[in-house]
Parts: sequence; structure tokens; C-alpha cells
Amino acid sequence: MKILCMVKIVPDVDKFKYDFDTNTVVRENVRMILNPDDASSVGVALKIKHLYPGTTVEVVSMAPESVRPLIYDLVRVGVDRVNLITDKLFSGSDSYATSKVLAKYVQTLSYDIILTGTHAIDGDTSHVPAQLGELLDMSQMSNVIHIDEELLDTTKAVFTVDFDSEVATYEMQLPGILSLRKESGYKLPYIKYEDMNKDVTDSIHVITNNDLGFEPFEIGLKGSKTKVNKTFVKEYEKRDKVVVTNDDQGINTVYAFLQEKGFI
Amino acid sequence: MKKSMIYLDKENNKNSIDLLEVIRQIYGEEGSETYGVAINHQCLEAIGYVDNLIQITDDKIFDKDGMVITDILEELQQKYNFDCILIPATNFGRMLAPRLAMRLHVGLVADVTAIHLKDELLEMVRPAFSGKIMAGIVKQGKGPTMMSVRENVFSYDPILPKETQKITYVPKHLRKSQLKLIDKREKVQSYDIRDSEVLISGGGGTIKNFEKLEALASQLNGQVSASRKIIDKGIATRSIQVGQSGRTVNPKLYIALGINGAIQHVEGLKNVEHIISVNTNKNAPICSLSDLVVEGDAFEFIDKLLAKIKNNDFRR
Repeated sequence: MKILCMVKIVPDVDKFKYDFDTNTVVRENVRMILNPDDASSVGVALKIKHLYPGTTVEVVSMAPESVRPLIYDLVRVGVDRVNLITDKLFSGSDSYATSKVLAKYVQTLSYDIILTGTHAIDGDTSHVPAQLGELLDMSQMSNVIHIDEELLDTTKAVFTVDFDSEVATYEMQLPGILSLRKESGYKLPYIKYEDMNKDVTDSIHVITNNDLGFEPFEIGLKGSKTKVNKTFVKEYEKRDKVVVTNDDQGINTVYAFLQEKGFI
Repeated sequence: MKKSMIYLDKENNKNSIDLLEVIRQIYGEEGSETYGVAINHQCLEAIGYVDNLIQITDDKIFDKDGMVITDILEELQQKYNFDCILIPATNFGRMLAPRLAMRLHVGLVADVTAIHLKDELLEMVRPAFSGKIMAGIVKQGKGPTMMSVRENVFSYDPILPKETQKITYVPKHLRKSQLKLIDKREKVQSYDIRDSEVLISGGGGTIKNFEKLEALASQLNGQVSASRKIIDKGIATRSIQVGQSGRTVNPKLYIALGINGAIQHVEGLKNVEHIISVNTNKNAPICSLSDLVVEGDAFEFIDKLLAKIKNNDFRR
């Protein structure tokens, strides 16, 4: 079985600090990580590879060259090949342009199933998996929390999806796209000690626009259908902030407050 | 006159109808004819709200398949040529909207929480970086304006009830789905935190004994909710999570116990009348947004407040 995982390298936004008093976001010195949902997709792919020897796991990522150390580690945990799509012409692409770039490259590959994450923690639009599905004319399902490895073959996948009010199990004809969530619990394995510094450059394949042949107006900012006009930090309404403690006086203050507002 | 379409998600009829407020903010009260599209449900709640209710009913339509629904909405777009397409950002809506946008070759803005209109330029506002930064997005190129809209953020009250015209539509072409439903079960959740007037909410400071919040919630006729830390630890289900990756809530009283108040959490609090926060750190971000801050342990607070309430009841 041939598994393709689409991954994104993102800033670790949980480490952004927010200062409510000055309404600023501190984003200095925040490291880059593999997007958590995408890590689950590679995690389950490697689990399947372990169960069914002969399975290949290939990763596709569009990113600047600077992410190399992170993608090296993917090979060190068992990914067979990483395809890094990188070109200055692609920078500034919105989800529409990004999906077009990814789809054009994926169409040149051979695979049985595509695995992605559901959300990326930076943009968090969840657009690319569905748009890739549209461009490749195949089904796509987000919020996958389990894949039944026993029932998986090259023609179909059985998996569980978390919708808003129900949990449902589906069968999908392959090829198709399943988008995982980190709540699935699938994790990347740790790198074995002896593989820490393994030379993996032979497994990294770099693709630029020379290979893909887009016209400049089709990609990047020019090829995008949306544009960020401005970014801002939301102003929150500050309140009185009367500070008390857990002593009798404090509890009395809370009690009086609840009583005055009609909650008791 | 402009034409706007709302995809009425059967999982959340009311919220779908509330997207009329987005249309009102963009085009004004009378600026757009509105169409609601209900697939495999009647959505009679929309009567009196939308100008046109398009009902499509066919057992063969697999309504959780984004490909099938995209085909149908594409047909409707060809027929009506909408200027604006709105999809509620439910789990399904967030799969459907991007596929439809790609099909129609138009830009899409996800999870919109506000509309800014300045000198005819429509800016769709959405959170980015897990809600830490807001981005105002404009569309480029031709075609309808398209967005998925965050649930429970907009609410709509019509000035006068609309005379709704019901339209039955039969899709010309129905694709055979590549998906098959094997099994489904409804999530067991006795309450919806979006409807709660009082929420007792727990964060990292309540991991040790999260169940204890229930006692205070029941005393104050409220419900229990949680921050992401509790959900990530597997202590409670996502349906009671408040915040950017959870629900947006608007209770009258929100008691935040051991919640730090990262912006992703605060983003889920909309028009909350009163906030009391209990935290060992009185400078935690949530405290700046609170009417009353109790500096101390959350469990001790619950015990003491419950004792006080009980004591006073007794005296009465």
C-alpha cells in the first residue's frame, strides 16, 4: 500500500504570549513544529507500515527551505521519502493557490490513500484538504479520529469521524483523503538513538516551480483569491477587577455579588 | 438587488438562520434577496426569516458527502447567480465550503467572526494563529463573496417577518457517493453550553478534581464547561469546551476556575455579562476581563462558597 501524507510546518502558536494590558502578541523566539494534526497523519501511516510490511509512506510539504531539519526527522522515524515543494514564487499563496500547487504535484505521484491533518494551528482554515479533494476529484473527510487498520486495503478505508453532535463510522472508496485530528491519539514515534544524526539527504526530494511550471500570475500573492488586508489584536473590554482572596471576607464579597446580580 | 444564499445546516438550524445578520451587515436591511438551502430537512424555522426557502429532499442524497452537496450547490449557483454564499462553520460546513469555493473558482474566508465595511470594501474578519491575532481578509477576483461563519457569533432579529416563498428543487445530476455510512451514534450530552445562562468553567487548575465543579454548577442552576487543557487531558468531551477550538458561549455569569485565559479561550466568550475568576495568579490574563477576581485555590473556593450558600439558606 502506498500512503501519501500532506504536512505543514507551523510556528508553535501556543507559545505566543498575549499581554491583555497592552493588547500585544509576543511572537519572538517561537520555534517551528510539525502541525499537531499532521503529526497524527504521519503517526497512523507509520503504524500501518509497521502492520503491513511493504507499505510505503511518502510525505509532501510546501515550505521554505529552512524547514529541512524538521523534515529530516520525519525520515529518521521511518518515512520513506519527503517531497519538499519550495520556491520563492509560491510564498504568499492563500489556501486556493496552495491547493493548486499541491494538487499539481500530487497528480504526478502514485498512491492509494492521502492522509492529512484537519486543522493547522497557524492559519486554521482547514481549506487545503477539501480543496485538494476537489482538484483531484476524490472524497475527503475531516475530523477523523480513528482508522480501522484491519479493514484497510488499497480499495477502501473504514474510519470514524467526530461530527458536532454525532460520531460516525464510514467506508470510503479509495483513492481518497482522510484528515486526522490529534485527538485520534496517533503519534509520531521517537527517533531511535542510533538514527539521531542519520544522513537522510537521499530521501529528500526538492520540487520547485521549474518542475511544476506555473505562470507567476497563477501562484503566490497574485494567484490568490483572498488577501490579508490587515491584522490586528482584538481589544478586550476590561472590567473592574476587584481582587479578593479565599478568606471569609472574600467569599462574602463573591456571595454579595451573586446575590445582587440575582444568581442566588 | 443582490442575492445571497445560506446553506442551512441541519445540525444547527438556528445558527444557520442567524447568518442573515451577516447579509444585513454587508448589504443593509433591504439590500439583498435571501435564499436558504435545506437539503434533506425541512427547516421550517426559516419561514418568516428568509425570502426564499429552497428545499431539496431525496433519500439518495448522502448529505454528509461534501462532493455530493457541492454538486447541488453548484447547480443552484448556476441557476440563481448568488452574490454572496454563507456556510455555517460546523464540522461539515468547514469541509463543504472550501470544496465549493474551489469548484466556483472563488476565494473563501474561513470562520468569520465580524464584518467590517469601509468605503465599499468588505473586510471579513477571522481569527488566526489559534485566535491570537485577528485578520481582516478581502476577496480578490470575480465571483461571489464566500465565507464560512463561526457558530453562535451573529444573531438576527428581523424587523418584520418575511413572506417566505418555498421552492422545491430537484437536482439535475446526482453523483454516486464514494462514502458509505456504517454506523453512527449520537453524542450523549445532556446540555448545550451555548444555551447556558450560568457556566462554571474549569481549566488547568481543576484537573485534579474536575467533577467537583458540578456541585457549584447545580447550586447556581448552571452547567459545567471547560478550557482546552481539560479536553486535551481527556477529562471532559469537546462539546463542553469554550474557546476558539471549542464553542462560543454567552452566559449571564461565567465563573472561571483555574483558567489562565489564553486568548484562544477568551475568544469563546461573547457578550458575557459577568465574569468571576478564581486563580492562584491574580495576574492571569483572564483576571483583566473579570468583574471579580478571587486569588486562591479553585477547590477551596468551591467548598467555601457552597458552605456560605448553605449556611445562608439555613438561616433563612
